[in-house]
Amino acid sequence: MPVMNSAYNGRQPNDFKILTELEGVPNSRSLEVYKKHGGYSALEKILKGKMSQEEVINIVKASGLRGRGGAGFPTGMKWGFVPKGEGEKYLITNFDEGEPGTYKDRYIAELNAHMLIEGKLIAAYAIGASKSYIYLRGEFYDEIAWCEQAVKEAYAAGYLGDNVMGSGFKHHMDLYLGAGAYICGEETGLISSLEGKKGQPKLKPPFPAVKGYLGKPTIVNNVETLAVVPWIIRNGADAYKKFGTEKSAGTKLFNISGPVVRPGCYELPLGYPLKRFIYEDCGGLIGGKKLKAVIPGGASAPVLTAAEVENMTMDYEAFAAAGSMLGSGAVIVIPEDVSMVEVLENLMHFFKDESCGQCTPCREGTGWLLKMSRGILNGEGQLGDEQKIAEVAGKMMGRTICTFSDAAAGPARSIPQKFAHEFLEYYKKKSSAHGQG
Amino acid sequence: MASFFSAGLNETIKGYLGRYETKRSSILPILHAIQDENDWISPEAVQALEAEHGLSVIDVNEVLSFYTMYRKAPPKPYRLEVCGSISCWLNGADKTISDAKSYIAQAEKSGQSVPFECHKVECLGVCGYAPVALVNKDRYLNVTPELARKLIDDYSKKELPAAAKKCAADLAARAAQK
Repeated sequence: MPVMNSAYNGRQPNDFKILTELEGVPNSRSLEVYKKHGGYSALEKILKGKMSQEEVINIVKASGLRGRGGAGFPTGMKWGFVPKGEGEKYLITNFDEGEPGTYKDRYIAELNAHMLIEGKLIAAYAIGASKSYIYLRGEFYDEIAWCEQAVKEAYAAGYLGDNVMGSGFKHHMDLYLGAGAYICGEETGLISSLEGKKGQPKLKPPFPAVKGYLGKPTIVNNVETLAVVPWIIRNGADAYKKFGTEKSAGTKLFNISGPVVRPGCYELPLGYPLKRFIYEDCGGLIGGKKLKAVIPGGASAPVLTAAEVENMTMDYEAFAAAGSMLGSGAVIVIPEDVSMVEVLENLMHFFKDESCGQCTPCREGTGWLLKMSRGILNGEGQLGDEQKIAEVAGKMMGRTICTFSDAAAGPARSIPQKFAHEFLEYYKKKSSAHGQG
Repeated sequence: MASFFSAGLNETIKGYLGRYETKRSSILPILHAIQDENDWISPEAVQALEAEHGLSVIDVNEVLSFYTMYRKAPPKPYRLEVCGSISCWLNGADKTISDAKSYIAQAEKSGQSVPFECHKVECLGVCGYAPVALVNKDRYLNVTPELARKLIDDYSKKELPAAAKKCAADLAARAAQK
């Protein structure tokens, strides 16, 4: 059934375990199990081998690792932006997982938070940070407990402290909990929040790598990005590049949601066929329903039609070429019997709720988009409203401090454009209701 | 004069005040701690943070008004928070929410006191097992209307959480003062 023009033909998801190696292993969250599977040996390799910061950054650069939070910026390059030399620097893990459809970072903590801690230690060493934070969303009660436990264990084992593994490298780590604001997943919003303020994003430049937390050089990395670093150091950049495509190297955690038979978090090489993922790995749609559309990278990613899914591969370039994005790897499946106008209204409700209110195009725009899509649902729409929605959305792009506004505009442009016929049905409903009245 | 906060909470607050690079960073964790003990954050608590711990009312209110997890009014003992974002919505969250709300409303109409309130919230980050819901700090997956009713029934039979008792006692004491 699915298109099979892929180098991964015949291989099973189990063949691609890097981040999910501890899946199914009893007591996987313990430090002992992690160490048995090579845990903290990458850190040891760096510290005992007296690798330079530059060497570490170069390995990560060579691996082709790109930020797994959504933006896909090359990780090694980001680390390289931090000014060299003395002075306070900070490393922050973005564990504010809140993009609708995304539940991968929590899965890493559920498997073993030490992957993240070791990755953080390596990143901190590379940029010269003696203090780091894990910024977790406040509703992640279990995940907070798992991370707290792992940090405690890491301190007790000498992986954290004034003299990490007797090497002279000093690193302290703390958790910080958000309090229910999606915008804190934006790196400068996160920094504002960590400073004890409203989580409102800051204008870039200056970028956090130069001027971040408390005005000091700061790197903000996603959980998944950091958690894969120890594997890359242990096995080398080339081993990582064996997976994925030329420009999208490595594996990625894909999380699927919506009415599918086998939902979950799957580790797959970038470039994996989307259709095969949905139908073979995840068992297709519940009740054998037909696919109408897919939101491929979390709520911010423009929607793809079923036809566009046919030959799509899951990598940064292929999604971008189709006008969408890989984002957080959150694949949201929409079946044939769901109205795309209702989908739009639901998404706009989210963005209206979560806009931080700082910039006018976003604060007002998200409100208008919600009102207009809700109006159409209520039979108050008229021909051309779907174009008006796309027009308003178009004016929200590239005019604000952060990309939240652009993210809200993504679905508001793509849904009316690709599913205009569904809007017409709502307008007809209205005119027939009037006719009867 | 007696402190507004309990001795234990004062210790926790002091711990946070010295834990981060700046005092201001302690505001979010302190508010979490106050809410954990008192079930909400009253205007008196905000005043006391300034008077007793030197955190400015303006800075605290900035945080309090921005973040949705902080409760600015006394809540009911249990909060059923159901995610209504896209993945949960696709799997029937709206039905769960409206059913749970009317289940509570009907019981109250018949004179029963239900220690529950139900809210629709945005993404809770476990989208594959939708609809996702929280009862206070306990997470539940695949929350159908049936499961939501069962959760309401089961929690209602339990002893009230300590924070809910404290909240009720504080409100009673305040009413007696007036």
